[in-house]
Amino acid sequence: MCELFAMSAGHHYTAHQYLPPFADRARANISGWGLGFFRNGQVLIEKSCEGIFTEDMLHDSFRRLSRVIDSRIILSHIRCPKSGHQKESHAQPLTDHFLDHNWLFIMSGESQKLMDYQSPRPLMSEELLAARVFEFVRDEMESGLASRPRQSLYQVLALGCKKLITNYPGQYIFFLANETVLFAFLNNSQVLTYQDPKALGEALVVTTVTGGLTEHPDNWSAFSQQDHSRGQILIISGADLLYLGHL
Amino acid sequence: MCDLFALSASRNYTAAASLPLFAVRGRANVHGWGIGFFRNSMPVVEKSGEKVFTDGRLHGSFERLARVVDSPIIVAHIRYKSSGQVDECHAHPFVLDFWGQSWIFAHNGKAPAIEPYLSRQQPILEARSDSARTLEFLRDYFQEAEPRRPHAPFIQILREALARLLQEYPGEYNFLLTNGRVLWAFTNHRQFLLLKGSRKLEEALLLTTINEGLSPEDWKRITARPGSGGKILLIAGGDLLLLEDLVLSA
Repeated sequence: MCELFAMSAGHHYTAHQYLPPFADRARANISGWGLGFFRNGQVLIEKSCEGIFTEDMLHDSFRRLSRVIDSRIILSHIRCPKSGHQKESHAQPLTDHFLDHNWLFIMSGESQKLMDYQSPRPLMSEELLAARVFEFVRDEMESGLASRPRQSLYQVLALGCKKLITNYPGQYIFFLANETVLFAFLNNSQVLTYQDPKALGEALVVTTVTGGLTEHPDNWSAFSQQDHSRGQILIISGADLLYLGHL
Repeated sequence: MCDLFALSASRNYTAAASLPLFAVRGRANVHGWGIGFFRNSMPVVEKSGEKVFTDGRLHGSFERLARVVDSPIIVAHIRYKSSGQVDECHAHPFVLDFWGQSWIFAHNGKAPAIEPYLSRQQPILEARSDSARTLEFLRDYFQEAEPRRPHAPFIQILREALARLLQEYPGEYNFLLTNGRVLWAFTNHRQFLLLKGSRKLEEALLLTTINEGLSPEDWKRITARPGSGGKILLIAGGDLLLLEDLVLSA
């Protein structure tokens, strides 16, 4: 399975403490990596189809970028061999502009049926599950708000996710972020959140890596989901978990 | 009755068009005004015990601040006192620290039951009003919930705090609470009007208690559903992220 990482902070922050351990613990995924963040409301993405580790060396660019990138929200994805793609354009994060925001998207999961989804506005023509999931979620959020403009963003996302797992059964974990808020959805496995106990108000780290990214797994809060027909959505902004919704 | 205003955007914004309109439409509130915002994650509050509108003119400082203040979130309050004296100290917004951050709070309502509330924490706000005590009550509840952080979502603590507030100190509450990144709003007695993407005012998300809104546009009216404990709103950037009823147990 691919592995996901996100960090949300109240101000611009680097993830240099967490990104190398994330890469280390996800090193079995050798098919590429990506980093996405925001600068002045614009999305910036650096990605590669090279392995995150070669022998015992962390990819040079990833190591340097993790020291340098500072943003209120940073997303990272390390791709597993099962995804079957080797093109850099297929590495994640993916991005699109909708509902007045630039969005970053990363996902991990499996669904046979969703590959048939045909968006009225495809991100790319190639068969890439992450692109289909992103298109589906985006299309549902756009049409949801167009038909029910008085709804909140959470309501349209929750309805979209419910439709996703009902119409296209599968296993999904995705992170979707704009410059101020991060949504995390899962209907299988788990995501873990962490705040440094010495700096609770600084940043919140979210990952799919089992056991978390620090020496003390006990400091991580796990949000688990076993029943694939249901799901959870976390809303995070700044260093706070603001909301946990169950579908 | 006091009135509330908030602007929320994903980048720094001024409320140069909407703040003066808010003051004009809320001019029946004659007991002070205040504007709160964040600069470099620090709360900044400018307030006064003077009338926001006198002899057909906006208060000079309010007018200038409206042009100058730029922040992703701006909160304003125009006061009609129902509790406490008329002076700068009793004007809103108020500021307290909890949950690891500074919060700006502005309130509109009437809750005499909470006036005798004695906070167990420091600092105590100087103002002697239901609004000051309400913020202290919220601060105290969050302080005591601190060991549940970071696993417990903020809204879970807020729901519990509001339920206990309404149970122990029944009253009319309508407030804005912001840490500069997100804006929480709650009402159990009056409406909020919300507009996003105005063509006449700022394009940011605008929120007010002014009954007719601030422009002849399609303002969304949000009121507490009869039988519910109230309505909770969560706003970030220019978006209404969450809108839910506060459920009170029987």
